[in-house]
Amino acid sequence: MLFLLSVLQLLYVLITAPLIAGIFGKITERYESKVGPSIFQPYYDLYKLFNKQSVVPEVASPLFQIVPYVTFAMYMFLTLVLPIITAFPLTFGPVVDFIGGGLIFGAIASLKKIASLDSRSNYSHLGVSRASSIGALAEPIIVLIFITFGVISHTNNPYVVNNIMQTSTQWYLSLIHWFVVFAFFMALIVETGKLPIESHSNNEFGMIDQAIEMEYSGRELAFMKWGSYIKQFLLMSVFLNDFLIPFWVPMKVGLISVIIYGFIHLLKMIVLSVIFATIQSTVSKYKLFKNFEYVAVAFSFAFLAIIVFYTTGGAL
Amino acid sequence: MKDVYLIVGFLQIVFVIFMQWQVYLRKIVITFALSSAAIAVFLFVNGTYLNSINLIILAFLTIAVRGVFIPYYMLKKLKAPYKDREPRNVIPTALSIVISLFLVVVAYVVYNFTLYDITYVKAGSIPIALILQGIFLIISRNNAFIQLIGYMVMENSLFLLAGYMFPELPLIIEGGILLDLIGVVMISGIVMRLREDTVSNVIEEFEEFKG
Repeated sequence: MLFLLSVLQLLYVLITAPLIAGIFGKITERYESKVGPSIFQPYYDLYKLFNKQSVVPEVASPLFQIVPYVTFAMYMFLTLVLPIITAFPLTFGPVVDFIGGGLIFGAIASLKKIASLDSRSNYSHLGVSRASSIGALAEPIIVLIFITFGVISHTNNPYVVNNIMQTSTQWYLSLIHWFVVFAFFMALIVETGKLPIESHSNNEFGMIDQAIEMEYSGRELAFMKWGSYIKQFLLMSVFLNDFLIPFWVPMKVGLISVIIYGFIHLLKMIVLSVIFATIQSTVSKYKLFKNFEYVAVAFSFAFLAIIVFYTTGGAL
Repeated sequence: MKDVYLIVGFLQIVFVIFMQWQVYLRKIVITFALSSAAIAVFLFVNGTYLNSINLIILAFLTIAVRGVFIPYYMLKKLKAPYKDREPRNVIPTALSIVISLFLVVVAYVVYNFTLYDITYVKAGSIPIALILQGIFLIISRNNAFIQLIGYMVMENSLFLLAGYMFPELPLIIEGGILLDLIGVVMISGIVMRLREDTVSNVIEEFEEFKG
Protein backbone atom coordinates (compact mmCIF):
# COMPACT_ATOMS: atom_id res chain seq x y z
CA MET A 1 0.00 0.00 0.00
CA LEU A 2 2.76 2.44 0.98
CA PHE A 3 4.57 1.73 -2.27
CA LEU A 4 1.38 2.39 -4.23
CA LEU A 5 0.87 5.67 -2.38
CA SER A 6 4.51 6.61 -3.08
CA VAL A 7 3.88 6.15 -6.80
CA LEU A 8 0.64 8.12 -6.49
CA GLN A 9 2.43 11.00 -4.74
CA LEU A 10 5.17 11.01 -7.36
CA LEU A 11 2.66 11.16 -10.22
CA TYR A 12 0.63 13.78 -8.38
CA VAL A 13 3.63 16.11 -8.08
CA LEU A 14 4.93 15.46 -11.61
CA ILE A 15 1.53 16.19 -13.13
CA THR A 16 0.30 19.10 -11.01
CA ALA A 17 3.59 21.03 -10.58
CA PRO A 18 3.36 22.64 -14.07
CA LEU A 19 -0.34 23.40 -13.44
CA ILE A 20 0.49 25.47 -10.35
CA ALA A 21 3.12 27.37 -12.37
CA GLY A 22 0.49 27.93 -15.09
CA ILE A 23 -2.09 29.21 -12.59
CA PHE A 24 0.49 31.55 -11.08
CA GLY A 25 1.38 32.88 -14.54
CA LYS A 26 -2.29 33.41 -15.35
CA ILE A 27 -2.97 35.32 -12.13
CA THR A 28 0.03 37.63 -12.58
CA GLU A 29 -1.14 38.45 -16.10
CA ARG A 30 -4.68 39.10 -14.87
CA TYR A 31 -3.24 41.55 -12.34
CA GLU A 32 -1.79 43.47 -15.28
CA SER A 33 -5.24 43.50 -16.94
CA LYS A 34 -4.11 41.08 -19.63
CA VAL A 35 -5.89 37.91 -20.68
CA GLY A 36 -2.70 35.92 -20.15
CA PRO A 37 -1.77 32.45 -21.38
CA SER A 38 -3.81 29.36 -20.58
CA ILE A 39 -3.16 27.73 -17.22
CA PHE A 40 -1.98 24.72 -19.24
CA GLN A 41 0.72 26.76 -20.99
CA PRO A 42 3.61 25.10 -19.05
CA TYR A 43 2.42 21.70 -20.38
CA TYR A 44 2.41 23.04 -23.95
CA ASP A 45 5.88 24.51 -23.40
CA LEU A 46 7.22 21.22 -22.04
CA TYR A 47 5.66 19.30 -24.94
CA LYS A 48 7.21 21.69 -27.42
CA LEU A 49 10.64 21.53 -25.78
CA PHE A 50 10.61 17.72 -25.64
CA ASN A 51 10.11 17.67 -29.39
CA LYS A 52 12.88 20.13 -30.16
CA GLN A 53 16.46 19.46 -31.04
CA SER A 54 19.07 20.17 -28.34
CA VAL A 55 21.92 22.55 -29.02
CA VAL A 56 24.97 22.27 -26.78
CA PRO A 57 27.77 24.86 -26.59
CA GLU A 58 30.90 23.54 -28.28
CA VAL A 59 33.10 24.32 -25.27
CA ALA A 60 30.84 22.62 -22.71
CA SER A 61 31.87 19.32 -21.08
CA PRO A 62 29.54 16.26 -20.83
CA LEU A 63 28.52 17.49 -17.35
CA PHE A 64 26.49 20.23 -18.99
CA GLN A 65 24.24 17.65 -20.64
CA ILE A 66 24.04 15.24 -17.71
CA VAL A 67 23.02 17.75 -15.03
CA PRO A 68 19.37 18.31 -16.14
CA TYR A 69 18.69 14.56 -15.88
CA VAL A 70 20.51 14.17 -12.56
CA THR A 71 18.78 17.16 -10.97
CA PHE A 72 15.38 16.01 -12.22
CA ALA A 73 16.00 12.58 -10.67
CA MET A 74 16.94 14.26 -7.39
CA TYR A 75 13.72 16.27 -7.42
CA MET A 76 11.80 13.02 -7.98
CA PHE A 77 13.58 11.51 -5.00
CA LEU A 78 12.63 14.50 -2.84
CA THR A 79 9.03 14.03 -3.91
CA LEU A 80 9.10 10.57 -2.36
CA VAL A 81 10.39 11.68 1.05
CA LEU A 82 8.42 14.83 1.85
CA PRO A 83 4.86 15.07 3.26
CA ILE A 84 2.92 16.19 0.20
CA ILE A 85 -0.40 14.36 0.35
CA THR A 86 0.26 12.10 3.34
CA ALA A 87 1.24 12.83 6.94
CA PHE A 88 2.56 9.28 7.45
CA PRO A 89 5.97 8.27 6.09
CA LEU A 90 5.86 6.56 2.71
CA THR A 91 8.26 3.80 1.62
CA PHE A 92 11.26 6.14 1.27
CA GLY A 93 10.16 8.51 4.04
CA PRO A 94 12.68 7.43 6.70
CA VAL A 95 15.63 7.87 4.30
CA VAL A 96 16.17 11.59 4.95
CA ASP A 97 15.02 14.27 7.37
CA PHE A 98 14.69 18.05 6.93
CA ILE A 99 18.45 18.58 6.95
CA GLY A 100 18.95 15.77 4.44
CA GLY A 101 16.26 17.25 2.19
CA GLY A 102 17.89 20.66 2.52
CA LEU A 103 21.24 19.17 1.54
CA ILE A 104 19.71 17.58 -1.56
CA PHE A 105 18.14 20.92 -2.51
CA GLY A 106 21.58 22.48 -1.98
CA ALA A 107 23.27 19.79 -4.10
CA ILE A 108 20.80 20.40 -6.92
CA ALA A 109 21.47 24.16 -6.81
CA SER A 110 25.24 23.56 -6.83
CA LEU A 111 25.04 21.13 -9.75
CA LYS A 112 22.95 23.58 -11.75
CA LYS A 113 25.44 26.36 -11.08
CA ILE A 114 28.45 24.23 -12.03
CA ALA A 115 26.75 23.14 -15.26
CA SER A 116 25.79 26.71 -15.99
CA LEU A 117 29.37 27.89 -15.50
CA ASP A 118 30.43 25.05 -17.78
CA SER A 119 28.52 26.65 -20.65
CA ARG A 120 31.08 29.52 -20.59
CA SER A 121 28.33 32.05 -21.28
CA ASN A 122 28.75 35.47 -19.71
CA TYR A 123 25.04 35.75 -18.98
CA SER A 124 25.04 32.37 -17.23
CA HIS A 125 27.98 33.48 -15.11
CA LEU A 126 26.05 36.61 -14.19
CA GLY A 127 23.05 34.52 -13.10
CA VAL A 128 25.23 32.09 -11.10
CA SER A 129 26.95 34.97 -9.35
CA ARG A 130 23.64 36.56 -8.39
CA ALA A 131 22.01 33.29 -7.35
CA SER A 132 25.04 32.41 -5.20
CA SER A 133 25.14 35.72 -3.39
CA ILE A 134 21.41 35.60 -2.65
CA GLY A 135 21.55 31.89 -1.75
CA ALA A 136 24.42 32.48 0.67
CA LEU A 137 22.10 34.74 2.64
CA ALA A 138 18.86 32.82 2.18
CA GLU A 139 20.15 29.33 3.02
CA PRO A 140 21.09 30.14 6.66
CA ILE A 141 17.49 31.22 7.19
CA ILE A 142 16.21 27.85 6.05
CA VAL A 143 18.75 26.09 8.27
CA LEU A 144 17.71 28.23 11.26
CA ILE A 145 14.05 27.44 10.59
CA PHE A 146 14.73 23.72 10.53
CA ILE A 147 16.82 23.92 13.70
CA THR A 148 14.01 25.81 15.46
CA PHE A 149 11.49 23.19 14.45
CA GLY A 150 13.92 20.51 15.50
CA VAL A 151 14.03 22.11 18.94
CA ILE A 152 10.22 22.22 19.14
CA SER A 153 9.52 18.70 17.95
CA HIS A 154 12.77 17.03 19.14
CA THR A 155 13.13 15.63 15.65
CA ASN A 156 13.92 16.77 12.15
CA ASN A 157 11.44 14.49 10.51
CA PRO A 158 8.91 16.51 8.47
CA TYR A 159 6.18 13.94 9.08
CA VAL A 160 6.59 14.19 12.86
CA VAL A 161 6.57 17.99 12.65
CA ASN A 162 3.30 17.83 10.71
CA ASN A 163 1.73 15.47 13.26
CA ILE A 164 2.77 17.73 16.15
CA MET A 165 1.39 20.81 14.43
CA GLN A 166 -1.88 19.03 13.59
CA THR A 167 -2.44 17.76 17.10
CA SER A 168 -0.95 20.44 19.37
CA THR A 169 -2.92 23.70 19.42
CA GLN A 170 -0.40 25.08 21.91
CA TRP A 171 2.49 24.78 19.46
CA TYR A 172 0.42 25.87 16.49
CA LEU A 173 -0.61 29.11 18.22
CA SER A 174 2.82 29.72 19.77
CA LEU A 175 4.80 32.83 18.98
CA ILE A 176 7.77 30.65 18.00
CA HIS A 177 5.73 28.90 15.33
CA TRP A 178 4.45 32.13 13.84
CA PHE A 179 7.89 33.74 13.74
CA VAL A 180 9.10 30.64 11.90
CA VAL A 181 6.12 30.83 9.53
CA PHE A 182 6.93 34.46 8.66
CA ALA A 183 10.62 33.69 8.19
CA PHE A 184 9.89 30.68 6.00
CA PHE A 185 7.34 32.61 3.98
CA MET A 186 9.90 35.36 3.28
CA ALA A 187 12.59 32.79 2.47
CA LEU A 188 10.15 30.88 0.27
CA ILE A 189 9.49 33.99 -1.80
CA VAL A 190 13.24 34.30 -2.40
CA GLU A 191 13.78 30.58 -3.06
CA THR A 192 10.96 30.35 -5.60
CA GLY A 193 12.03 33.55 -7.35
CA LYS A 194 8.81 35.36 -6.47
CA LEU A 195 10.45 38.42 -4.92
CA PRO A 196 9.91 41.39 -7.20
CA ILE A 197 13.59 41.87 -7.93
CA GLU A 198 13.73 39.19 -10.52
CA SER A 199 12.78 39.40 -14.16
CA HIS A 200 11.49 36.21 -15.74
CA SER A 201 12.31 37.32 -19.23
CA ASN A 202 15.75 37.48 -20.81
CA ASN A 203 16.36 40.94 -19.40
CA GLU A 204 19.88 41.04 -18.07
CA PHE A 205 19.14 43.60 -15.35
CA GLY A 206 16.87 41.32 -13.40
CA MET A 207 17.47 37.76 -14.46
CA ILE A 208 18.76 35.24 -11.97
CA ASP A 209 17.29 31.77 -12.48
CA GLN A 210 16.54 32.59 -16.09
CA ALA A 211 20.25 33.16 -16.76
CA ILE A 212 21.33 29.85 -15.22
CA GLU A 213 19.43 27.80 -17.79
CA MET A 214 20.04 30.21 -20.64
CA GLU A 215 22.30 27.94 -22.72
CA TYR A 216 20.00 24.94 -22.46
CA SER A 217 17.60 23.94 -25.20
CA GLY A 218 15.36 21.07 -26.25
CA ARG A 219 14.89 18.14 -23.89
CA GLU A 220 17.50 19.38 -21.39
CA LEU A 221 15.72 22.71 -21.04
CA ALA A 222 12.42 20.87 -20.62
CA PHE A 223 13.86 18.87 -17.71
CA MET A 224 15.35 22.02 -16.17
CA LYS A 225 12.01 23.82 -16.38
CA TRP A 226 10.00 20.87 -15.14
CA GLY A 227 12.50 20.49 -12.27
CA SER A 228 11.99 24.17 -11.37
CA TYR A 229 8.22 23.66 -11.28
CA ILE A 230 8.69 20.63 -9.00
CA LYS A 231 11.06 22.55 -6.72
CA GLN A 232 8.51 25.33 -6.36
CA PHE A 233 5.76 22.79 -5.73
CA LEU A 234 7.77 20.92 -3.08
CA LEU A 235 8.82 24.04 -1.17
CA MET A 236 5.27 25.39 -1.20
CA SER A 237 3.95 22.00 -0.05
CA VAL A 238 6.40 21.82 2.85
CA PHE A 239 5.47 25.37 3.83
CA LEU A 240 1.76 24.54 3.75
CA ASN A 241 1.88 21.07 5.29
CA ASP A 242 4.48 21.66 7.99
CA PHE A 243 4.14 25.32 8.79
CA LEU A 244 1.12 27.35 7.72
CA ILE A 245 -1.86 24.98 7.36
CA PRO A 246 -0.80 21.54 8.56
CA PHE A 247 -4.42 20.41 8.90
CA TRP A 248 -6.40 17.78 7.02
CA VAL A 249 -3.31 15.89 5.83
CA PRO A 250 -4.20 12.19 6.31
CA MET A 251 -2.36 10.74 9.32
CA LYS A 252 -3.60 7.18 8.76
CA VAL A 253 -2.95 4.98 5.72
CA GLY A 254 -5.91 5.03 3.34
CA LEU A 255 -6.26 5.48 -0.39
CA ILE A 256 -9.55 7.41 -0.40
CA SER A 257 -8.46 9.94 2.23
CA VAL A 258 -5.19 10.53 0.36
CA ILE A 259 -7.02 11.10 -2.93
CA ILE A 260 -9.48 13.52 -1.28
CA TYR A 261 -6.61 15.37 0.36
CA GLY A 262 -4.91 15.59 -3.06
CA PHE A 263 -7.71 17.92 -4.16
CA ILE A 264 -7.61 19.90 -0.91
CA HIS A 265 -3.86 20.30 -1.30
CA LEU A 266 -4.34 21.64 -4.80
CA LEU A 267 -6.74 24.24 -3.42
CA LYS A 268 -4.22 25.23 -0.74
CA MET A 269 -1.54 25.60 -3.42
CA ILE A 270 -3.81 27.78 -5.54
CA VAL A 271 -4.54 30.08 -2.58
CA LEU A 272 -0.80 30.38 -1.88
CA SER A 273 -0.17 31.11 -5.57
CA VAL A 274 -2.74 33.92 -5.43
CA ILE A 275 -0.91 35.38 -2.41
CA PHE A 276 2.45 35.15 -4.23
CA ALA A 277 1.01 36.70 -7.38
CA THR A 278 -0.52 39.53 -5.35
CA ILE A 279 2.82 40.25 -3.68
CA GLN A 280 4.74 40.11 -6.94
CA SER A 281 2.27 42.31 -8.77
CA THR A 282 1.58 44.92 -6.11
CA VAL A 283 5.00 45.45 -4.50
CA SER A 284 7.11 47.78 -6.61
CA LYS A 285 10.21 46.21 -8.12
CA TYR A 286 13.25 46.22 -5.85
CA LYS A 287 16.71 47.15 -6.90
CA LEU A 288 18.83 44.01 -6.91
CA PHE A 289 20.99 45.02 -3.95
CA LYS A 290 17.87 45.76 -1.85
CA ASN A 291 17.40 42.01 -1.66
CA PHE A 292 19.99 41.84 1.12
CA GLU A 293 17.84 44.05 3.34
CA TYR A 294 14.85 41.82 2.71
CA VAL A 295 16.86 38.71 3.54
CA ALA A 296 18.17 40.38 6.72
CA VAL A 297 14.57 40.90 7.89
CA ALA A 298 13.71 37.27 7.10
CA PHE A 299 16.79 36.19 9.08
CA SER A 300 15.62 38.39 11.97
CA PHE A 301 12.29 36.53 12.12
CA ALA A 302 14.01 33.14 12.13
CA PHE A 303 16.44 34.26 14.82
CA LEU A 304 13.72 35.88 16.91
CA ALA A 305 11.94 32.51 17.00
CA ILE A 306 14.95 31.05 18.80
CA ILE A 307 15.13 34.05 21.15
CA VAL A 308 11.42 33.60 21.95
CA PHE A 309 12.09 29.94 22.69
CA TYR A 310 14.78 30.78 25.24
CA THR A 311 13.01 33.84 26.65
CA THR A 312 9.87 31.88 27.39
CA GLY A 313 11.68 28.75 28.45
CA GLY A 314 10.07 26.90 25.53
CA ALA A 315 6.61 27.36 27.02
CA LEU A 316 4.86 29.58 24.50
CA MET B 1 -1.06 38.13 31.21
CA LYS B 2 2.41 36.88 30.45
CA ASP B 3 1.27 35.83 26.98
CA VAL B 4 -0.02 39.32 26.14
CA TYR B 5 3.21 40.83 27.44
CA LEU B 6 5.29 38.48 25.30
CA ILE B 7 3.23 39.05 22.16
CA VAL B 8 3.28 42.85 22.56
CA GLY B 9 6.96 42.83 23.55
CA PHE B 10 8.11 40.81 20.55
CA LEU B 11 5.78 42.80 18.31
CA GLN B 12 7.64 45.92 19.47
CA ILE B 13 10.97 44.32 18.54
CA VAL B 14 9.60 43.46 15.08
CA PHE B 15 8.31 47.03 14.69
CA VAL B 16 11.75 48.47 15.49
CA ILE B 17 13.40 46.11 12.99
CA PHE B 18 10.82 47.24 10.42
CA MET B 19 11.71 50.88 11.20
CA GLN B 20 15.38 50.08 10.63
CA TRP B 21 14.45 48.63 7.24
CA GLN B 22 12.34 51.53 5.99
CA VAL B 23 13.57 54.69 4.32
CA TYR B 24 10.19 56.41 4.10
CA LEU B 25 9.56 58.64 7.10
CA ARG B 26 5.81 58.39 6.71
CA LYS B 27 5.93 54.59 7.10
CA ILE B 28 8.19 54.87 10.14
CA VAL B 29 5.84 57.33 11.83
CA ILE B 30 2.83 55.08 11.13
CA THR B 31 4.77 52.07 12.48
CA PHE B 32 5.48 54.05 15.63
CA ALA B 33 1.77 54.85 15.97
CA LEU B 34 0.95 51.13 15.66
CA SER B 35 3.60 50.17 18.21
CA SER B 36 2.20 52.76 20.64
CA ALA B 37 -1.30 51.38 20.08
CA ALA B 38 0.02 47.90 20.92
CA ILE B 39 1.51 49.27 24.17
CA ALA B 40 -1.83 50.90 24.97
CA VAL B 41 -3.65 47.60 24.42
CA PHE B 42 -1.18 45.87 26.73
CA LEU B 43 -1.65 48.51 29.44
CA PHE B 44 -5.42 48.28 29.11
CA VAL B 45 -5.46 44.48 29.33
CA ASN B 46 -3.08 44.52 32.29
CA GLY B 47 -5.12 47.25 33.96
CA THR B 48 -8.31 45.22 33.57
CA TYR B 49 -6.55 42.06 34.78
CA LEU B 50 -5.08 43.77 37.87
CA ASN B 51 -8.16 45.95 38.37
CA SER B 52 -5.91 49.02 38.32
CA ILE B 53 -7.58 52.24 37.24
CA ASN B 54 -4.15 53.89 36.93
CA LEU B 55 -3.06 51.51 34.18
CA ILE B 56 -6.35 51.97 32.32
CA ILE B 57 -5.99 55.77 32.44
CA LEU B 58 -2.40 55.37 31.26
CA ALA B 59 -3.60 53.18 28.38
CA PHE B 60 -6.02 55.87 27.21
CA LEU B 61 -3.35 58.57 27.62
CA THR B 62 -0.90 56.45 25.60
CA ILE B 63 -3.27 55.89 22.70
CA ALA B 64 -4.29 59.55 22.66
CA VAL B 65 -0.82 61.06 22.94
CA ARG B 66 1.50 58.51 21.30
CA GLY B 67 -0.91 56.65 19.09
CA VAL B 68 -2.73 59.62 17.62
CA PHE B 69 -1.50 63.09 18.51
CA ILE B 70 2.29 62.74 18.09
CA PRO B 71 2.14 60.73 14.81
CA TYR B 72 -0.45 63.17 13.43
CA TYR B 73 1.70 66.16 14.40
CA MET B 74 4.83 64.61 12.89
CA LEU B 75 3.06 63.68 9.65
CA LYS B 76 1.83 67.24 9.40
CA LYS B 77 5.36 68.55 9.88
CA LEU B 78 6.75 66.39 7.06
CA LYS B 79 6.96 68.57 4.00
CA ALA B 80 7.16 67.89 0.29
CA PRO B 81 7.33 64.26 -0.99
CA TYR B 82 11.09 64.29 -1.46
CA LYS B 83 11.47 65.10 2.21
CA ASP B 84 9.44 62.03 2.92
CA ARG B 85 12.41 59.73 2.52
CA GLU B 86 15.92 59.57 3.84
CA PRO B 87 18.32 58.69 1.05
CA ARG B 88 21.51 58.75 3.13
CA ASN B 89 22.32 56.04 5.66
CA VAL B 90 25.07 56.15 8.28
CA ILE B 91 25.17 52.33 8.39
CA PRO B 92 24.03 50.09 5.50
CA THR B 93 20.42 49.06 6.08
CA ALA B 94 20.99 45.28 6.02
CA LEU B 95 23.83 45.63 8.53
CA SER B 96 21.76 47.89 10.79
CA ILE B 97 18.96 45.27 10.84
CA VAL B 98 21.44 42.58 11.88
CA ILE B 99 22.99 44.86 14.54
CA SER B 100 19.51 45.65 15.88
CA LEU B 101 18.86 41.91 16.15
CA PHE B 102 22.24 41.37 17.81
CA LEU B 103 21.26 43.95 20.45
CA VAL B 104 18.28 41.75 21.38
CA VAL B 105 20.70 38.91 22.06
CA VAL B 106 23.01 41.22 24.04
CA ALA B 107 20.05 42.40 26.14
CA TYR B 108 18.99 38.80 26.80
CA VAL B 109 22.48 37.75 27.89
CA VAL B 110 23.14 40.83 30.02
CA TYR B 111 19.72 40.61 31.66
CA ASN B 112 20.14 36.96 32.53
CA PHE B 113 23.50 37.58 34.18
CA THR B 114 22.42 40.67 36.11
CA LEU B 115 18.79 41.64 36.68
CA TYR B 116 17.21 38.20 36.43
CA ASP B 117 18.44 37.33 39.92
CA ILE B 118 16.42 40.26 41.26
CA THR B 119 13.26 40.17 39.15
CA TYR B 120 12.90 36.43 38.40
CA VAL B 121 10.95 37.37 35.26
CA LYS B 122 12.34 35.37 32.36
CA ALA B 123 11.05 37.67 29.64
CA GLY B 124 12.26 40.84 31.35
CA SER B 125 14.97 41.31 28.74
CA ILE B 126 12.46 42.49 26.10
CA PRO B 127 12.16 46.12 27.32
CA ILE B 128 15.94 46.31 27.75
CA ALA B 129 16.37 45.06 24.20
CA LEU B 130 13.94 47.74 23.04
CA ILE B 131 15.90 50.45 24.85
CA LEU B 132 19.10 49.34 23.10
CA GLN B 133 17.31 49.14 19.75
CA GLY B 134 15.91 52.66 20.27
CA ILE B 135 19.39 54.00 21.01
CA PHE B 136 20.70 52.27 17.92
CA LEU B 137 17.88 53.73 15.80
CA ILE B 138 19.02 57.17 16.96
CA ILE B 139 22.69 56.67 16.14
CA SER B 140 22.14 54.82 12.86
CA ARG B 141 20.04 57.54 11.22
CA ASN B 142 20.71 61.11 10.14
CA ASN B 143 17.17 62.35 10.04
CA ALA B 144 16.03 64.21 13.15
CA PHE B 145 12.46 62.88 12.88
CA ILE B 146 13.69 59.28 12.98
CA GLN B 147 16.00 60.12 15.86
CA LEU B 148 13.02 61.51 17.73
CA ILE B 149 11.12 58.31 17.05
CA GLY B 150 14.13 56.32 18.35
CA TYR B 151 13.85 58.29 21.57
CA MET B 152 10.13 57.56 21.80
CA VAL B 153 10.76 53.84 21.16
CA MET B 154 12.94 53.93 24.30
CA GLU B 155 10.06 55.54 26.17
CA ASN B 156 7.62 52.92 24.87
CA SER B 157 9.89 50.22 26.24
CA LEU B 158 9.85 51.91 29.65
CA PHE B 159 6.06 51.78 29.60
CA LEU B 160 6.20 48.10 28.74
CA LEU B 161 8.67 47.49 31.57
CA ALA B 162 6.68 49.53 34.09
CA GLY B 163 3.31 48.19 32.94
CA TYR B 164 4.37 44.57 33.44
CA MET B 165 6.87 44.59 36.28
CA PHE B 166 5.95 47.69 38.30
CA PRO B 167 2.23 48.30 37.76
CA GLU B 168 1.99 50.06 41.15
CA LEU B 169 4.16 52.94 39.93
CA PRO B 170 2.31 56.22 40.65
CA LEU B 171 0.28 57.53 37.72
CA ILE B 172 1.64 61.03 38.19
CA ILE B 173 5.15 59.87 37.21
CA GLU B 174 4.16 57.93 34.11
CA GLY B 175 1.52 60.44 33.06
CA GLY B 176 4.02 63.22 33.59
CA ILE B 177 6.54 61.54 31.31
CA LEU B 178 3.86 61.08 28.68
CA LEU B 179 2.73 64.69 28.75
CA ASP B 180 6.31 65.97 28.75
CA LEU B 181 6.70 64.19 25.48
CA ILE B 182 4.15 66.44 23.79
CA GLY B 183 6.31 69.44 24.63
CA VAL B 184 9.47 67.70 23.44
CA VAL B 185 7.92 66.69 20.12
CA MET B 186 6.35 70.09 19.46
CA ILE B 187 9.53 72.02 20.22
CA SER B 188 11.61 69.54 18.18
CA GLY B 189 9.17 69.87 15.29
CA ILE B 190 9.51 73.65 15.26
CA VAL B 191 13.31 73.47 15.54
CA MET B 192 13.48 70.92 12.68
CA ARG B 193 11.21 73.04 10.53
CA LEU B 194 13.41 76.08 11.13
CA ARG B 195 16.54 74.06 10.33
CA GLU B 196 15.04 72.64 7.14
CA ASP B 197 14.02 76.11 5.98
CA THR B 198 17.59 77.36 6.32
CA VAL B 199 19.40 74.29 4.89
CA SER B 200 19.38 73.80 1.11
CA ASN B 201 16.67 71.50 -0.16
CA VAL B 202 18.64 70.20 -3.09
CA ILE B 203 19.33 66.49 -2.92
CA GLU B 204 22.00 65.36 -5.33
CA GLU B 205 20.49 63.97 -8.45
CA PHE B 206 21.76 60.41 -8.10
CA GLU B 207 21.84 60.21 -4.35
CA GLU B 208 18.63 58.19 -4.30
CA PHE B 209 20.30 55.40 -6.22
CA LYS B 210 23.03 54.84 -3.66
CA GLY B 211 22.82 51.81 -1.39
